[in-house]
Amino acid sequence: MTSPGALALATRGLRKKYGSRVALDGLDLSVPAGVVYGFLGPNGAGKTTTMRLLTGLLHPDAGSIELLGRPFSARDRRRLFEVGALVESPSFYPYLSGRANLRELAAAGAPVPRNRVEELLELVGLRERANDKVSSYSLGMKQRLGIAGALLSDPTLLLLDEPANGLDPAGIVAMRETLRHLASIGKTVFVSSHLLAEVQVLADVVGIIAGGRLVREGSLDDLLTSEAVIRVRVPGTSSEAAATALAPIGATTPMDGLPGDGAEVWLRVHAAPERAADVNRALASAGIFASGLESGSDLENLFLQLTGGEAQPGSEGTFQGIRQ
Amino acid sequence: MRLFLSGLRKLRGRPASLVTVCLLLGLLVLIIIATATVSQRSSGTQAQRVLVLVTFPAAYDLILSFMFGLGGLFAVIYGAAIAGSEWSWGTLKNAVARGESRSRYMLLSFAAIAVMIAIGLVVTFVVGVGAAIVGAKVAGVSTAGLGDSDTLGRLPEEFARGWFAVTEEAALGFAIATLARSQLAGIGAGIAFYFGETFATIFLPDIVKYLPFAVARASVNIGGAAADAANAGGPGAAAALPADTALVLVGVWLVGSLVVALGFSERAEITG
Repeated sequence: MTSPGALALATRGLRKKYGSRVALDGLDLSVPAGVVYGFLGPNGAGKTTTMRLLTGLLHPDAGSIELLGRPFSARDRRRLFEVGALVESPSFYPYLSGRANLRELAAAGAPVPRNRVEELLELVGLRERANDKVSSYSLGMKQRLGIAGALLSDPTLLLLDEPANGLDPAGIVAMRETLRHLASIGKTVFVSSHLLAEVQVLADVVGIIAGGRLVREGSLDDLLTSEAVIRVRVPGTSSEAAATALAPIGATTPMDGLPGDGAEVWLRVHAAPERAADVNRALASAGIFASGLESGSDLENLFLQLTGGEAQPGSEGTFQGIRQ
Repeated sequence: MRLFLSGLRKLRGRPASLVTVCLLLGLLVLIIIATATVSQRSSGTQAQRVLVLVTFPAAYDLILSFMFGLGGLFAVIYGAAIAGSEWSWGTLKNAVARGESRSRYMLLSFAAIAVMIAIGLVVTFVVGVGAAIVGAKVAGVSTAGLGDSDTLGRLPEEFARGWFAVTEEAALGFAIATLARSQLAGIGAGIAFYFGETFATIFLPDIVKYLPFAVARASVNIGGAAADAANAGGPGAAAALPADTALVLVGVWLVGSLVVALGFSERAEITG
């Protein structure tokens, strides 16, 4: 177990190229011990490449990795004895049962107590189907088995690549509870995801990656505070006057994407949620009456702006949708 | 040890293991029974020649020749299937991510293959001898030579050499599939190499005799007249190396194949 305040995982200047394409371009991660860290980014941002490097599947072109306070390289594989990982889609011998797959996986790497496989089958809810061949499992069942595989050695650091893939809603809730429980007993959970909502409900600390670089990192609370906004709906004809009236409270910009009835527009005021009353008062003083007012975080907007708004160089791009 | 035992358990449950042995066994039994049946309807020199297959002690050597000949091709396929699937299915990735040494994992996986080959050969031999006894009864041939001490005395060494040769051929398939990182590509390339070498014997016998399948065949050619007969006309027969020299080269090819497979595994970037 790492000491409080220590880093469970750190990368410095991590760089990886596939041919001429840069997948990671100097990644600097700092993952505190004992937290759930959400590693957020769009498809092709470099999340899976990072996971592969952290588990020794790939060799970095440059940079360094520290796992649990000690340098990690291809020559020091035993570092991974304290790490559990689910990288990309779960992989198993299709002709073996779920139980046999876990048992054979336990034969590699760190020693595993004899009853650990049964405990994990119970934990992920696969005991009833444990003797069935994995080839008959659904995607969600394979994912659960993959999570069980990652937990085999009771790892101090858990690396999970898109763990919610294929899980049903109940499974996602159970997985969240398990990961939160692990963090509460001092383990570190590093979860990559392209789903902001998933990370928001799960993580203590968030890192956002785009184009192979870390573009934002910090505690979720700090990020939510720094991106706090108040949204206000005013008549379209008064929007400029409203922006002027609200300027002393915070920068005010028009919003797209939230429902309006055509005659009204939404404005975004960058201010803490507790200033909502001030916003209302300022508008009333200017003779403008808001028909809607809500406060919250603009993390999603930040995420889109940093990652999905435009395809990053070297990324897979994003789904464009139908535009009229 | 637990990794090696795990390798054995994985191979035991794998359909490819059973299918490979059953195929080898099925063909051997079919040939023996067909020989016995056909010989009943024939007469003269031709029938006498065919009956060698069910006449002991020569039948021992013929069964071994069949096992080590066709078994070599099956071994290439088997070795390629096992190594290739570790990449295709992503199971090597799991082991590496748990901190397992790549070369140790691959080496012990191959050690398990070698043990499975030995078990498969023993089963095939026992069933083959049983089929030959049945064939002898059907053809009305005496089984008095079954306990021929000279032949039985030679059997352990012949068997050990044959196992070593077949294991070398499996190592070749194992290495090819590792380089290809694919079951299908490994199997395809292994088969192509097997038949390519056989075909090349026609044009380049002095070179081919040093190649892996030719040395494997030559290394088991240690005495039995039937073994010589089985190999007569086979690839490399005319230019075969002495058995002991061939055995050394089998070892060289075996170690070389494993070094290539392990070296590549150690350096490879595991994606997918």
